[in-house]
Amino acid sequence: MSSPPRTSPQPPTLDDEISALQSKIKTLKSALALQTSTLLTAPTTLTLLSTDPKLQSRSSLHQSHHLQTLYRTCATLTLFRAQDPDPNAVDAGSILGLRIEVVSRAKFLRPYYVLFNRPWTSSSSLPESQKKWLRVHRHTVPSCVPLSGLAARYLPAPEKDDNKRRKQDLGKFARGVRREVVRYHARLGTVADLRKAAGLAGRGEGNGSGLVDISPADAEVRHVSVEWGDGRTGRLVIGDDGEVVKLVVVGENGRDREGGRELLGGLGQAGTVKAEEIVKRLAAMGGT
Amino acid sequence: MSRISVPTTARLPSSLRVNPSSTTVTKILSRLSRPSLISVALDWLDEDNLSLATPYLRPDQDDDEEEDDGDFYPPASSPEELREEYLSLQNRKGSKREILDRIVTGDWRHGVSLYQLAIADLQYLYDHPTSQKWSAYKIVPLKAPTEDDNGEVQPLEADKTSLYIPRFHPSLFLKSLQAQILPDIKAHYNLDRHKTLPLLILRIFVIDSPYNTPLSLSSTGNIDTGSKTILIAFPDGSPNIFISKPTSTGPTGASESKSLRALLVEGIPKALSLPRQRVTLQSTSLTTRNLEELLDRRGATRGNAAGGGWSIYADEKVKESPLSTVLPSPPLSDAAEEEERAVGDKKRRERPTVEERVNKRAKLVAQARFGDTARVGDGKGVERVDLVMEDVFKIEGDDADRMDIDGEDGEEEAWRPKVRLTFHGSHVFAGIRQLVECGVIDGERMPGWMTGEEGVTIGAVRNGRIRGHKGSGL
Repeated sequence: MSSPPRTSPQPPTLDDEISALQSKIKTLKSALALQTSTLLTAPTTLTLLSTDPKLQSRSSLHQSHHLQTLYRTCATLTLFRAQDPDPNAVDAGSILGLRIEVVSRAKFLRPYYVLFNRPWTSSSSLPESQKKWLRVHRHTVPSCVPLSGLAARYLPAPEKDDNKRRKQDLGKFARGVRREVVRYHARLGTVADLRKAAGLAGRGEGNGSGLVDISPADAEVRHVSVEWGDGRTGRLVIGDDGEVVKLVVVGENGRDREGGRELLGGLGQAGTVKAEEIVKRLAAMGGT
Repeated sequence: MSRISVPTTARLPSSLRVNPSSTTVTKILSRLSRPSLISVALDWLDEDNLSLATPYLRPDQDDDEEEDDGDFYPPASSPEELREEYLSLQNRKGSKREILDRIVTGDWRHGVSLYQLAIADLQYLYDHPTSQKWSAYKIVPLKAPTEDDNGEVQPLEADKTSLYIPRFHPSLFLKSLQAQILPDIKAHYNLDRHKTLPLLILRIFVIDSPYNTPLSLSSTGNIDTGSKTILIAFPDGSPNIFISKPTSTGPTGASESKSLRALLVEGIPKALSLPRQRVTLQSTSLTTRNLEELLDRRGATRGNAAGGGWSIYADEKVKESPLSTVLPSPPLSDAAEEEERAVGDKKRRERPTVEERVNKRAKLVAQARFGDTARVGDGKGVERVDLVMEDVFKIEGDDADRMDIDGEDGEEEAWRPKVRLTFHGSHVFAGIRQLVECGVIDGERMPGWMTGEEGVTIGAVRNGRIRGHKGSGL
């Protein structure tokens, strides 16, 4: 508060110029990196590079990265190795990482990671095959995904008792986690679409559908609460495959079956309608 | 208002008024600052709250006799007038006492409702975010009850393979929690959203009385001797709950407030359970005064089980799209490069001294071990960490022989001395990080539990690792 703020219509100051130039430098640098990588992996340049060992090693680095991104894009479940910095870590700190790609609103999100270690490598009482069994060490999966349940199902701890022994199945575990994560994001997306269709996304007024609020009502976004302007409230339960399992609308005088049917779009009963169809129906209502 | 008090099992109504001269009211109100008191009073006078916080107004409009009956705070004629009055007080300077007196002996002389007290109490939490000590509990599903051969019901076990995530419905929860509360105490519940954090806060105010009439509150002070307050926070999108340590007015023993907490820890899972879907609460060994830290470690973030150096995997700001073909720079390399360049520009000629290199290395090691966590200013600190060391004491050379002579024989192969470590401070792990950065602690040989990556404040260390992994991992 020591110096009075500058008035806005003044010509751009030196600071503005510097920041503009710096942002320009940033864009140019990223463009340069992109061009380099494109050039180094283009088949035409590869033949030219064959004489220079330094450039060649650089090019092979880029190529392997391209291959990795290709797998990440298409397979969406990829593994990698990492090192635990803890000097006391089990198994000399070797870590197996699982990377789960998620697409939401046509964009790749930051992948979710599950990191495994092998705590039973040094235990002498276990048979050789079980020493390499994995255990979830760290993860970044949202807390509404039942990771511990999936781990207990597919990655059980080794048992000395032969009768109880089960097998570990990393593939099933990975697919299970991915399924849950993708469903979770799909439900989140559906709620966002519902809000958009009802005209609640922006600051503006609702688009005449009479809805005041649509919001997730629980951790997993399986329950969605709906509020109307006239005091009615509703609950939408979304199933595993995006279908509407239950729909209840409660008005002032008890349950409002008419309102529920209206929201379902006259398409029939809950269980046969997908949540997306309600989105479409709401959007259409807004259009007319 | 009924004249007879009948013991009931119902909860205390929000509109129930407490005598403003009681210690509870004075205690709750007097710890607020002047601006907070005024904002609380304005909150009470809000349209939505007015029905539960009616001020004392002038009884008759026609009676235009000037109120010179010695009333220091003449009652206002309408809530609007009172609101204006408090707004003008907001712009004026004065003492806290003045506002407090005005509320207690003036505008709410006929009593402060329980709802008002709840609002005032929460205001104190916003003013002093670290005033409560919270413990994090995890909600875990239970197996369906089974019977053994003799037809006896087995004790319930946590169902580890369940894929069910418990959900929380506030009104249903309150209803079933009320059923769990014993009939000889009465409780008042108030649910409120936290102003800044994604939390739902439930305030439970308990008095030792079987009645829910004003008499139980006014008569020589049940409220002053045996009332307790406990806060429960439900984070959004996370199957965890945070329970605060009960605070009580009056001379109650520590054991009593402990038992109330135990009662609640027992009652809450029952209230959260649904038919055929029972849950229980599991302690997660995390106790702190810092709600933000709790939300960071037990909330709906990615960092729940990826603390310390692992937080680089949880950082949402890092863009890592598989569609980008640009070669990624591994973590630490950017910073390292940047720094190297800066140093290189300055002293192109002279090589960095040994000390500089050591310092730089220590900083890098700290970055690798702690990631972006445990910064001094990040506001996510725990203030106390208790650890029990159960590691084998390594004996070498002559000492080993001597130990063999007077120690126990081969029975106990290794000596495990009982050592307890307690770290204390405003932000324990930031302190450790600073020590690593200055080179006091060797960051490369430092055990993992010193980075706080487990997210626990109570634990036992065995073989250099925190045992149990109750906090993170699985």
